[in-house]
Amino acid sequence: MKEKNIKNIFVDGPISPAFIGGSIAKHSAKKEIGGHSIFLGQVRADEIDGKRVSAIDYTAYQETALEQMHAIRAEIFEKYNLTCMHVYQSLGTIKTGEICLFVFTSSAHRKPAIMACEEIVERLKAELPVWGREIFEDGTHHWKENI
Amino acid sequence: MEINILSFGKIAEIMTITSLKTDEPMDTDGLKLQLEESYPALKTIKYKLALNKQIVQQNRKLLSGDVVAIMPPFSGG
Repeated sequence: MKEKNIKNIFVDGPISPAFIGGSIAKHSAKKEIGGHSIFLGQVRADEIDGKRVSAIDYTAYQETALEQMHAIRAEIFEKYNLTCMHVYQSLGTIKTGEICLFVFTSSAHRKPAIMACEEIVERLKAELPVWGREIFEDGTHHWKENI
Repeated sequence: MEINILSFGKIAEIMTITSLKTDEPMDTDGLKLQLEESYPALKTIKYKLALNKQIVQQNRKLLSGDVVAIMPPFSGG
């Protein structure tokens, strides 16, 4: 049986701007690329019932999430003419203002990269078993739900 | 038979069991009913199950040693 090459998407802690910059730089060798599309998710200081969010603590059912992401990846490559696609989701405590999601698609011309990037973000929010526990400044918490 | 139970997110805060023993044949719908009886708060949560890491789309028969994950609404990204 051919072993599935399941790529990891999980990163412990916030995704640093330096990592994102380095990831862009790595693509300069791929001369067939004409456009990149990037989505960055940032932890927002939401206010719920008068309390302000100071961080989100992310957990996941990792094995199932990676299986789901593997299927999404295959479907996206089938649907769009992409050169490459990278997805990183933070786990653990991410403070407001820090980056918790990095989706990066590249293609010869702009449209597939832009459309695929948007579709990946929408699908992973709906389909991956990942949970964000919003932690308030007073130490209490609230479980976030994607709509 | 014995079913292993994993719970996540806010469900992990209300559900404490990690396995369920039964002599009766069991399917995922039956398991949901039994869990909702033990943990009535579950009835107020829209949750999904995963059976042996695969998300359950329709009722599935359970076998001894199966791992069922109880998953509240997702909030990644």
